[in-house]
Amino acid sequence: MNRKSIRTISLLLVMVTVTVAGCANNTTTSTVPSAQSSDANSATSSTPNEEVTLTLLAYDSFTPSKNIFDAFTRDTGIKVEVALGGDAGELVTKATLTAGNPQGDVLWGVDNTLLSRALEAELFVPYATSNLADLDKTALALVANNEATPVDTGDVCINYDVKWFADRKIPPPLTLRALTSSTYANLLVVPSPIASSPGLAFMLATIAEFGQDGWEEYWKQLRQNGVLIVDGWTEAYYTEFSGSSGKGERPIVVSYGSSPPAEMIYASPVPKTVPTAVAALTCYRQVEFAGILRGTKYLREAQLLIDYLTDVAFQEDLPLTLFVYPVNTKARLPVEFVKYSLRPESPLQLDPQLIASQRIVWLDMFTNIVLR
Amino acid sequence: MILAYRRAAPWLAVVPVIGMMLFVVAPALNIFKMSLRFESLKILTTQTTRNVVWFTSWQAILSTILVLFVALPIAAITSNFKFVGRRALISLVSVPFILPAVVVGAAFLEILPGSLHRSSLAIIAAHVYFNVGLAVRIISTRWEQIHPYLDDAANTLGASTIRTFLTVTLPLLRTAIISASLLVFIMCFTSYGVVRILGGPARSTIETEIYFRAMQLGDVSGALIMSVLQILVIGALILLVTSTRRSKNRHSKNSQKFGQSVYSRLRNPRSIAQKIFVITIASVSAVAVVAPLVSVATRSILLREKLDTTAWRSVLSDSTIFSSLMTSLRYALITVIISTTIGLLGACAVVYGGSRYKFVSVLTALPVVISAVTLGLGIIITFDVSPIDWRGAWLMMPLAHCLVAIPIVMRVISPVLRDLPSGLRDASRTLGASAWQMWRTIDLRIIRRALVTSAALASAVSLGEFGASSFLVRHNNETLPLTIARLLSRPGDLIQAQAYAIATVLIVACAGIIAVVDRLGTREPGF
Repeated sequence: MNRKSIRTISLLLVMVTVTVAGCANNTTTSTVPSAQSSDANSATSSTPNEEVTLTLLAYDSFTPSKNIFDAFTRDTGIKVEVALGGDAGELVTKATLTAGNPQGDVLWGVDNTLLSRALEAELFVPYATSNLADLDKTALALVANNEATPVDTGDVCINYDVKWFADRKIPPPLTLRALTSSTYANLLVVPSPIASSPGLAFMLATIAEFGQDGWEEYWKQLRQNGVLIVDGWTEAYYTEFSGSSGKGERPIVVSYGSSPPAEMIYASPVPKTVPTAVAALTCYRQVEFAGILRGTKYLREAQLLIDYLTDVAFQEDLPLTLFVYPVNTKARLPVEFVKYSLRPESPLQLDPQLIASQRIVWLDMFTNIVLR
Repeated sequence: MILAYRRAAPWLAVVPVIGMMLFVVAPALNIFKMSLRFESLKILTTQTTRNVVWFTSWQAILSTILVLFVALPIAAITSNFKFVGRRALISLVSVPFILPAVVVGAAFLEILPGSLHRSSLAIIAAHVYFNVGLAVRIISTRWEQIHPYLDDAANTLGASTIRTFLTVTLPLLRTAIISASLLVFIMCFTSYGVVRILGGPARSTIETEIYFRAMQLGDVSGALIMSVLQILVIGALILLVTSTRRSKNRHSKNSQKFGQSVYSRLRNPRSIAQKIFVITIASVSAVAVVAPLVSVATRSILLREKLDTTAWRSVLSDSTIFSSLMTSLRYALITVIISTTIGLLGACAVVYGGSRYKFVSVLTALPVVISAVTLGLGIIITFDVSPIDWRGAWLMMPLAHCLVAIPIVMRVISPVLRDLPSGLRDASRTLGASAWQMWRTIDLRIIRRALVTSAALASAVSLGEFGASSFLVRHNNETLPLTIARLLSRPGDLIQAQAYAIATVLIVACAGIIAVVDRLGTREPGF
């Protein structure tokens, strides 16, 4: 994709000049001077008194507090426009296809399952944030050269509808293996690993649990047991799952370790007991990153935004808005969040290198086993 | 052709040729070149590919057969009987064909029970709905030309109606049926929007697989190879269509002079059986066309089984939806201007330039062979190196709409221009008109209706375009079909109702466009 024969280019150039001349009001063909310097701190960009608006690209479920960026604008004079661009996978793909000529300045929401793709495409300009010393060490270890900055962590786990199981006096499923039992036939709904990052994390959890030799068989059994695969997490959780406000029909869903507090904190009236619970042994650790998109016009400003995103104030907003754990160890967690959410001691994990090399192969296998 | 016209042909051809070379041929060649470089050619032999190709093929075959079953009775009544609303019925069954695929998908989500969502059945039903109009138009055009005396002769010799149909009518309709089937097959084979909306994660045609590989999996090489496969299959099919068309046209030209102007097949239904037949078919098909559309509109004003205009109010007040409405209108305008201009230039070049300019018509038909999805992918991977790094330029999306519209514009304008009686031009030349005066007062005046028709169709294409757009969309230039697809994939009654409100807007727009096209009475779009 990157190497084009010079002849084609020059030929096209001639054509371009002819055609563009014919096209009316072709004004916004932005030719962005790419940021040459990869050394973050020596970078210079636009003049300080020019009003800058940064575009923060994020996945659709990026919903921090409404005025969260006001403080940033007040301190730096830089405005932030949030642009939502689909699910995490789609977001990364779009960014990859426009690598070097980005649609925004900072991207929020590449997780450890997608990180290899972003780094391969050289999406980001490396930057060591001023908050580096305070960030979670295991999360930082995934980005040895600060190619991207960790911003939050979470766990993708099996959630279940407590009342549904209590009413029927059936024990809830506590392990991945249990889900293939006929007790739980036609009860599980999973977001597709192809488009959704929790879906992918769950698929990786099964590979971590049953090994590369065993996971295919596991999914064959899940399929026989009537697993429902839907496009995205929102659909799985809010439409099909019986424990959420959507009142769907299936009492077992792939969601987050921190989903139960959401059911408590945002429900009205607040239920007496937590309506949903998490199966701790099924969790896969997810780390999300933000990065400065290579080619941004506002490198220095983007660096300031990364600092802000990892700063205590912003990090403390995350648990109750995005239902994830802050990555900044100095951030305090809200009491009700700690009370209702589950943080597994030893979540399932896979080697990022292995994910990078096998992801497409696995997803193809998944599609063939489960979907067709 | 007049000398001045013939001399102008090369100049007329410049812009269409360069445009097509740059935005269609270059990206297509690039796709071929890049896909050859990958060792992932082995993807062609994988289980996934076999599954996708198998599903794409069988659903297309089944859809085509069903379309014929539905279209034949409708064509039978519209080409044999006079009845009130005959022309309206023809227009009505054509409406779905011009509707955005996303809207048809949404309509079927609404009328089918939840258990059928994301099933092959839903996809096939939507394909039938979508394509019946196309088949009816092609078949009835031929049917109307069959000389009524042939039927009478068969009857006199004692053949029953059914026997007459099987032994006389059907053989004469053969070529029309074949070319209709091939076209419908291509439409179903390359279906994208319908499958994206109704297929869920499980059902994938080659088109959706291209999108899925490139945009969701991040496997661009796999997507490229799928594109090549798609181009080869459609290319072969189009060659088939044009060859059957050619023989059909030769055939129909004779009978047209012989039959249509003097004898009309259309008779009043006489026997009770005929009356029942006409009434049943006409009313059932009208209801079948209208019901899904009405259900879309109803869904937009219902929330929790109660009448509620919140969705409509939020559509008007929601800034993102409003901005996608404005984007759609702006792009439709750009598409109309650019595609009718280029189509007009191309059509003039082809007609005035004679056989040497046949390549212009082949070139401008290429976007049909290279599907919209492939076009989008090709543009993204081609214009990605500075100084022509255009992936982010908003203009690429309306340009892609133009590329999809140009083949249609060409096919509306060229025949009118070609059939223009040469005596008119000779007369004006004798009277001393300059070439420019002649063109303005004769050619332009005669193709004016065709121009309006093609502008209307181009705007419909732009308003509904989903394939290329889903590749070229950026965060700030979503068009209405993209907004519908995004809203439909989200839970929540209000959000869904908003999607249906937007779909209603598009349905009304397309119905208006069909009305314009049919009132002008020019030839139907097609290949």
